[in-house]
Amino acid sequence: MAADLVRMVGIAKSYGPVTALAGVDFAVYENEIVGLLGDNGAGKSTLIKILSGTVSATSGEIYMRGKKVLIRNTTDAINLGIETIHQDSALVTQLSIARNLFLGREPLIGPPIFNRMDQRTMNEVAGTLLKRIGITKDIPATTPVSYLSGGERQAVSIARALHFDSDLIVLDEPTNNLGVEETQGVLRFMRGARDSGHSLIFIAHNIHHVFQVVDRIVVLRRGKVVADDVDPKSTTIEAVERIITGVPATG
Amino acid sequence: MNLANRPGSLLVRRLTSTPEFLPFTLVVVLVVVFASLTPNFLSRGNISNLLAFTPELGMIALGMTVLMTSGEFDLSVGSVFGFTPVLMWTLFNEGATSLEVALLISLAVAVLIGFVNGTFVTRLKIPSFLVTLGMMMTIRGTALYTTSGFPQRTWRAESWLMDLVAGSFYIGEFRLYASIFWFLGFALVLGYILTQSKIGNWIQAAGGNPVSARARGVKVGLTKTWLFILTAFMAAYAGITSSIRVAAANPNSGTGYELEVIAMVVIGGTALGGGRGTIIGTVLGVFMLRMMRNGIVLVGVPGLAYNIFIGVTILTMMALQSYLARRHPSGAG
Ligand SMILES: Nc1ncnc2c1ncn2[C@@H]1O[C@H](COP(=O)(O)OP(=O)(O)OP(=O)(O)O)[C@@H](O)[C@H]1O
Ligand SMILES: [Mg+2]
Repeated sequence: MAADLVRMVGIAKSYGPVTALAGVDFAVYENEIVGLLGDNGAGKSTLIKILSGTVSATSGEIYMRGKKVLIRNTTDAINLGIETIHQDSALVTQLSIARNLFLGREPLIGPPIFNRMDQRTMNEVAGTLLKRIGITKDIPATTPVSYLSGGERQAVSIARALHFDSDLIVLDEPTNNLGVEETQGVLRFMRGARDSGHSLIFIAHNIHHVFQVVDRIVVLRRGKVVADDVDPKSTTIEAVERIITGVPATG
Repeated sequence: MNLANRPGSLLVRRLTSTPEFLPFTLVVVLVVVFASLTPNFLSRGNISNLLAFTPELGMIALGMTVLMTSGEFDLSVGSVFGFTPVLMWTLFNEGATSLEVALLISLAVAVLIGFVNGTFVTRLKIPSFLVTLGMMMTIRGTALYTTSGFPQRTWRAESWLMDLVAGSFYIGEFRLYASIFWFLGFALVLGYILTQSKIGNWIQAAGGNPVSARARGVKVGLTKTWLFILTAFMAAYAGITSSIRVAAANPNSGTGYELEVIAMVVIGGTALGGGRGTIIGTVLGVFMLRMMRNGIVLVGVPGLAYNIFIGVTILTMMALQSYLARRHPSGAG
């Protein structure tokens, strides 16, 4: 088996009386796409929010390449090379594509005291990136994100992860509300990212989408891992659905 | 949406979709209307007069623009505008300190007020409406209580500082006040920060989508706290400027300014909900409302009717802005 990129051990999280995660062990290996499945409220988003530093775990440990790490906030996660595209609100729609791509990591030009963004470089890099991820329509990088379609927005989020060369790209329901064409675009980006050496976590409710790209499936049910090494090539969608719901096969 | 359908209409679309388009048009219309109704409007004396008191609310509006872009607002600016000069002149008149030190102390107090506002909003997660409303009453109350409601005199003072902040000089026969240069200077700096700097990107992101900004490592709370400090500082500086110009520090002054300033900012094209702000628009909004107040009086409409005009203008502007916004979703970058 390939080497660990990230390993989460004994992760628990409760929101007051609600237990979202009850001691989860979860690993992502180098150079793979993991599908993280589970019904609504299973704890998928909570788990990856802990990984991206937006939520802190009640207990548990995280290792990267075998070394224990502390993820106290989003900056820690980003510095460790973890890029997350959240289910809710990934982009600032009022800002341009370029400004979104570089948000939080804007390149500066001139004396530091002026705090001046290098907008020319930002726009140039953004333009090249948009082409690279397959947006062939001529959309200037200065266009506000609110002008983009859902698929184009996902593409911008993914472009950001690619550009900053994050080791781990986490996508929480990136294909939600997308059309057939746009979904295929997102899946294509994911394969491309893996083939160029990244690892990805892919959360989705549409198991068909998951089956098309992932190397391995992990299933959460009510805050617990109920399967963590499902190979999509040697199982059926129906079998995975049964693991998700916990209902044994009938007949 | 299709970005470039008819090339001929592109320039018009660009123009009408900038948030500054509407306030600019209205400023031009106002100048034309008032100038044709009364020749006094463009007289040397009146322009000089207009340029003397416009920067005072204008400087508060500049701070408020940046704060509102980050998604917050501050109702305590009017009370800070009234209180800080009272504090400064009391310290000076009582012989406690020199005028220079008194100025520094009162600006420091304003910074503290802004810090408290920012901390309550970002740390305790209390809406800025409630926090700054409470702060407004606290500060106004302090100004009234400590002075028993009486104005502080300022005319015993002679200092280079007063000339620097709010002095006036003549160009030919035209009287010009230093405060207009401070106003334009602040506008340039804040305009630069908002559009060119990395901090500006954070400010817009914090107002546009705080959750997503935080996920990108933007320090949303810290950014907002600094902007509350900036806004309080601008309000204090404006209040001190005003007290020097009118040679009195009245504990009641600035009452109601908070809403007029917010009106100026919103009329200028800054989004009430945050995420989008324009300093140029605010400068236009400031001139627009100040010119209306001035022009209405000159034309002979009773001053008490001023609020009717402002109210109707705000409603009209909002209706037009929302019409334009529906034609051009979310304006231009
Ligand atoms: N901020 C919160 N406060 C209280 N409870 C929460 C919070 N966030 C999540 N939960 C609870 O934690 C549990 C797991 O939620 P989570 O969002 O991780 O589920 P999910 O697997 O991502 O679901 P979905 O597929 O619907 O996105 C749910 O019971 C949810 O109600
Ligand atoms: Mg979720």
